[in-house]
Amino acid sequence: MKPAAFEYIAPKTVEEVIDLLAAHEDEAKILAGGQSLMPIMNFRLGRPGMLIDINGLAGLDYIKQQDDYLLIGGLTRERTVEQSSLVQDLCPLLSKAITFVGHTAIRNRGTIGGSLVHADPSGEIPTVFCALNGLVKAVGPEGERWIDPEEFFLTFLTTSLEPTELLVEVKLPILPAGAGWSFMELSRRAGDFAIIGVATVLFMNDDGTCREARIALGGVAPTPFRAEEAEEALAGQMLDEQLIAKAGELAGEAADAEDDYHASAEYRQEMARVMVIRSLGEALARTGKGN
Amino acid sequence: MQLNGKYEFNGTQQQVWDLFTNPDSLAKAMPGCQELKETEPGKYDALMKIGIAAVKGTYTGKFEIGDPDPPNRYQLIGEGSGSPGFVKGVTDIELTASNDKTIVTYQGEVQVGGLIAGVGQRMISGIAKMMLGQFFKKMKKELKASGPAGS
Amino acid sequence: MAQRQRIRLKVNGVSYEREVEPRKLLVDFLREDLELLGTHVGCEHGVCGACTIMLNGKSVRSCLMLAVQADGAELTTIEGLADGAKLHPVQEAFRDNHGLQCGYCTPGMLITSLEFLRENPDPTRDEAKKAISGVLCRCTGYKQVTDSVMAAAEAMKKE
Repeated sequence: MKPAAFEYIAPKTVEEVIDLLAAHEDEAKILAGGQSLMPIMNFRLGRPGMLIDINGLAGLDYIKQQDDYLLIGGLTRERTVEQSSLVQDLCPLLSKAITFVGHTAIRNRGTIGGSLVHADPSGEIPTVFCALNGLVKAVGPEGERWIDPEEFFLTFLTTSLEPTELLVEVKLPILPAGAGWSFMELSRRAGDFAIIGVATVLFMNDDGTCREARIALGGVAPTPFRAEEAEEALAGQMLDEQLIAKAGELAGEAADAEDDYHASAEYRQEMARVMVIRSLGEALARTGKGN
Repeated sequence: MQLNGKYEFNGTQQQVWDLFTNPDSLAKAMPGCQELKETEPGKYDALMKIGIAAVKGTYTGKFEIGDPDPPNRYQLIGEGSGSPGFVKGVTDIELTASNDKTIVTYQGEVQVGGLIAGVGQRMISGIAKMMLGQFFKKMKKELKASGPAGS
Repeated sequence: MAQRQRIRLKVNGVSYEREVEPRKLLVDFLREDLELLGTHVGCEHGVCGACTIMLNGKSVRSCLMLAVQADGAELTTIEGLADGAKLHPVQEAFRDNHGLQCGYCTPGMLITSLEFLRENPDPTRDEAKKAISGVLCRCTGYKQVTDSVMAAAEAMKKE
């Protein structure tokens, strides 16, 4: 099928975009990479009356370090993030995860901002965003604000971004030296949507105990989320096989999946448990403090 | 897909029955319901605008209250179709008194077909559950708003 | 119907100027407006890869772009790989290694392989398999396609 007709406008400034969103909020949709929106429109599952093409906006495509943070412009292509040595150095978790986003042609157009706003519950970038507890900057008629993952992801494909707001930047904390990280994904074929996506981060104490654990899961709930009970089980503890297995169990129990064509709820729950165990093991090995 | 669950309502069984067979309450509670018109006793035509994020569609639907056994149970038979696809289902709705509250249990089989079922497969069940949750939440609000004066 | 827009772009080195409806997909523009039938329409949602072309040197799904978005861009489609009658080494490798049967996915396979080999001129077989995993083939079972990519790598190294 082909998209239904729409009005098309390609503004040059963020201010123009906000004005357009404010004037047409009921029918306008932002077109960034288009790798999620175009399929929806090609199938006529969505028929926005107006497309605001933001690909011509200058100044939203950047990757830079600011103190302890990595700042990435909302319009930065996933492929640019993938190939960036700065991201490789400062946020290897994102570098790894982004290689699982579709295929090269998809990543050549898809943007990091678009991926977060699209909020696919199995999205790799949203899952990593949760694990790192990053922030996104939204600009609207009232000005700008920062939103954290818990506030940002509401449910399937839905964020707390107002219809009059544009996501302009992603801010990710740089992991300290000695922190462990891991990203793993279960899918039937390379490049498929994740059946389960797991992003883990371990912050360690000098004595080898775990100071704080982050376990983010994608694909097992209406949004990516942190398995908090599993994280708490690890905090302050020495991470041995038994404890990691316990964390895996708790993470699996936190899954809130449904049966679907690709996997049953039980399978997702069980695989969440297994993948979390593996991911924690990999993250621990990266801390250099594994037993 | 199978849909089932239960919700507790702060009302007598009769009050909850009246709520669940009142087209105005149903229209207010059903997510995206623009119109609900009774065409024959117990049969309704509906116009619903349902969507999530960019995926929005207009569905015309038909609902029927089948096998009513007031105030205990009935079968809700429904079907809707729109350009994104179609939905067809039969749900058994049962009311049981519990102290001075009423428990509404639903058990149903829903078929979703068309484009939305193919492309949106991995989210359909979850979204359906979510919409049911919204429906029941709104029904509870309706009951509260109607006050203790329901007969 | 929304206002038609004028776009100017280069495809395979040739400049074009046309008027299009905003909703016209780039793949349909190439096929219908420019009569470049080599790029194929498969799934219309970005997963089959048959519509893959190069836009400003990078592979993209032309079914997920609007023609109006290609204004000012330089495109390479499958028609742009050969140099007159002389096939590109990638094309020769696919021919010599039975990397195609019906040919429907082939434009996508070739463009994808070309981009891949430019970045990774000495790939392992596993890397080649991963590289083509974004283009779906119903005929070959992928072995011959992978053989073709590996052969193309060899041939291109010699250039």
